[in-house]
Amino acid sequence: MSSSSESIKILSAKQISIQKPLSEEWMDAPERYTDDFVRAVDPDFKQFISAGDARRMGRLLKRALATSLSALQEGGVMNPDAIITGTGFGSVENTELFLDAMVREGEHMLKPTQFMQSTHNTASSLIGIHTHCHGYNSTYSQKGLSFDSALYDAWLQFRLGKIGTALVGSHDEMSPVFAGFMRKAGHVREGEICSEAAVSVLLASGADAPALCTLEGVKLLNRPDETELKAAIADMLGGSMPDAVMTGMSGNADNDSRYSILGDILPGVALLRYKHLFGVNFSSSAIGFYAAAYCLAKGVIPAVLAVDGKARECSKGILLVNAVEGRHYSIIYLKPVCGKV
Amino acid sequence: MAQERSVLITGCGIISAIGLDCSQVLESLLANRTGIAPLKYLRTEHTEFPVGEVKLTDEEMERIMGIEPGTPVTRTALMGMIALKEALADAKLDKNVLRQVGFVSGTTVGGMDKSERYYLDFIENDTRNEYIGTHDCGSCSEMIADSAGRFKSVTTISTACSSAANAIELGADMIRAGEADIVVAGGSECITKFHLNGFNSLMILDHNQCRPFDAERAGLNLGEGAAFVVLESRESALRRCVAPVALLSGYGNACDAFHQTASSPDGEGAYLAMSKALADAGLQPSDIDYINAHGTGTPNNDLSESQAMKRIFGSIVPPVSSTKSLTGHTTSASGAIETVICILALKNGFVPVNYGWEHPMEDGIVPNMDLHPNGALKNVLCNSFGFGGNDSSLVLTLADSVK
Repeated sequence: MSSSSESIKILSAKQISIQKPLSEEWMDAPERYTDDFVRAVDPDFKQFISAGDARRMGRLLKRALATSLSALQEGGVMNPDAIITGTGFGSVENTELFLDAMVREGEHMLKPTQFMQSTHNTASSLIGIHTHCHGYNSTYSQKGLSFDSALYDAWLQFRLGKIGTALVGSHDEMSPVFAGFMRKAGHVREGEICSEAAVSVLLASGADAPALCTLEGVKLLNRPDETELKAAIADMLGGSMPDAVMTGMSGNADNDSRYSILGDILPGVALLRYKHLFGVNFSSSAIGFYAAAYCLAKGVIPAVLAVDGKARECSKGILLVNAVEGRHYSIIYLKPVCGKV
Repeated sequence: MAQERSVLITGCGIISAIGLDCSQVLESLLANRTGIAPLKYLRTEHTEFPVGEVKLTDEEMERIMGIEPGTPVTRTALMGMIALKEALADAKLDKNVLRQVGFVSGTTVGGMDKSERYYLDFIENDTRNEYIGTHDCGSCSEMIADSAGRFKSVTTISTACSSAANAIELGADMIRAGEADIVVAGGSECITKFHLNGFNSLMILDHNQCRPFDAERAGLNLGEGAAFVVLESRESALRRCVAPVALLSGYGNACDAFHQTASSPDGEGAYLAMSKALADAGLQPSDIDYINAHGTGTPNNDLSESQAMKRIFGSIVPPVSSTKSLTGHTTSASGAIETVICILALKNGFVPVNYGWEHPMEDGIVPNMDLHPNGALKNVLCNSFGFGGNDSSLVLTLADSVK
C-alpha cells in the first residue's frame, strides 16, 4: 500500500466571520458584540466573483468561494487534488425560502434554484466547477464536528498517498429563523452568540512552500468516557507538550465544563478559546483551527485568545480539543513548521 | 496486490420498497417485482407521482425497534436503525465490540420529514421543539448509531445521491489507513415533500413507472430506504472467525465539475470515478461482469452515464442494469442499497433486470433484461452519482473468488 509519511502542511487559512473578513486584525483589535445573533461581515465579493454569478449565489456560496479562492491564491495552488467541505445546516437561506413557501403557500410554483442550493454539497461542487477540479470531492454534515470530519477525511487521503494537496473548508450561514432554531434545539446556549462562519484551509504534503504550521493528526471520538478521552489525547501528543490547548469554551457553563478534564491531563498548559470572539455555529471549530494555525505562524498567542488573558510565545504546538454537545470530540494537533523535535 | 488492499464486507442490512430485509429484497429481485406504486405514506398534494416507499408507517417502524411512542425520531433514522440492526446481526457484531467500530452514514434530507410537518410550530409555538434537534443530517446518524450502541466514531457524509457510496469509501479508507478494524457504512433517506417538490421543480420526475436507459424515459421515481455494510480488515475477520459476504476491492470518487444538477455530455466525472475504481481494484474493464448503473431514468443522466460506460468498456459493455426501476431512486441511500443489491447478485449468481425497459435509446447502452440465473459473477461495478457532479464507483468482488 502506498502511504505517505511526509509532513502535512497548512499553506494558507482564510475566514469570513463576525470579525473583519479575510484578515487577522482580530488578533490585536477584535470586534466585540453584545447581540445574541450576529451575521458575518462580508468582504467585497467583486474581487472573487463576477456580479452576474454573485446574483445567482446565496451568501454561503459566495463566502465559500471567496475563502476558497483566497486560500488557493495565497498557497499558490490552483487545482487542489481534493475538495472537502463541512457544513452543519448547508444553505439555510435557500432551504428556508423553499420550505417556507411550500408550507405556507402549497406545493406549487416552487423555485428549482432554491432547492438546488439547499443541497449540502453545493459549496464543494461549486468550488470544483469554478476551479475545474475533477479530483476527490466530498462534504460532511455532523453538527459542530463537520469541519473536523472533513479534515479527518483529508488527513486519511494524505496518509494513504492518494493526494498531495487538499482544500478543506467549513461553511455555515444563519437566518433569524434558523438562529431561533439553533437556540430552541440547544445547539447555541445561554451566554453564546449565534453567528456565521466560512473558513477554507489549503493543505499540502511534502511541499517546500511557506506554510503556517503542520498537521500532526486528527482523531474523532463518539461519546468517549474519561479514560478513553485521556488515552486519545496522550496518544496524539506522543509525549510532547504543546504550548496551549485550543478549546471550544464559550462562556456557557455546561459547555465549558467539558474542557475541565484538560487541566488534569495537561497541568499548567494554557487554555485558549475563540467562541467569545467568533460566536457559535456548526462551523465554529474551523475558526479554532484557523486561529491556532495563525498563532503558530506568528509564534505568538494573542492575549484575546487566552482564557487567562495573557499573551504568550507559541513555539511548540497547539492541541485542539473540540467537544460537540457533550458527545462528539475531535482532537487535532498542530505544530510549527520549524522547531520540530 | 488488489486482494491485499481489498476490504472485506462481513455483513449487510437493507430496507427498501422491494423488501424489509436482505431475503425479501433478494426474493423481489429474483421475481423482478417492482416496489414502485402510487403514493401511500407521504402526505403531499402531488399524488400523481408513483414512488418506491418502504411499506411501513413510522409507527410500525417504531414498534419494530421498540421505540416509545412520542419519542422524537425521524423516518430516515427509523429506516436506518432497521437496516443497521440487520447488518450487525449478519456480521455477528455484538453490542459490546461497537466501542472499537466506526460508523459513517450518508444522508441529505436528514430530518426534513418532521421539519416540513412542524415548521410552523417551530416558529410560532413551542409544541414541537423536540423535533428541531432532529432536523440536521448529523442527528439522523446519531439516532441510528445510538440505537445499536456506542460506536467509536460517528460522522455523516452529505453529497446528495452519492452520499452512501462516499460513506462506504470513507469507511474503507479508515480500514486501509489502519484507523479501524471495522467500520459500518451506508446511508438512509426517506421521501419528503421537500425533495419530491424539489425534483418536481427541476422537472425530472416521471409521472409513470420510470424506465432507465429507455428511449422514452421521462425522469425518475423517488424511492426511500436504508442500507449498511460492515467493512472489516482481513485480520479482524480472521480473528472473529467470520466469513466475508463479498469484498470491496476498489473504489473511486471524482467530480464532474460541470454543473450543479446536470451531468456533462461526455460523462467525464462518471468516467473518472469508474476508471479510478478499476485502477484501485487492479482490474481491467474486461474483468467486470455486471454494472449496477446509477441509471436514474432522467434523459440527462442515462445518456451521460452511457457515454462514460462506452468510453471505458468500448464495444463490449458487460451486462448493465439500473435497479432504480424496482426500488425508486433512494437518493442518499442509493449507494448502499445498490451495494447490497450487488452483493446479493454476486452471492446468488444472477444479473438484476432493468425493469420497464422497452426501447433502445440513441447512443445509449442496451440494459440487461434477462435475469441470467445461475450466472457466475466475479466482479461487479456499482455507480452512484450525485448533484454537483459528485460521482462515485465501487468494485465489489465475490468473496469465494479470492484465495
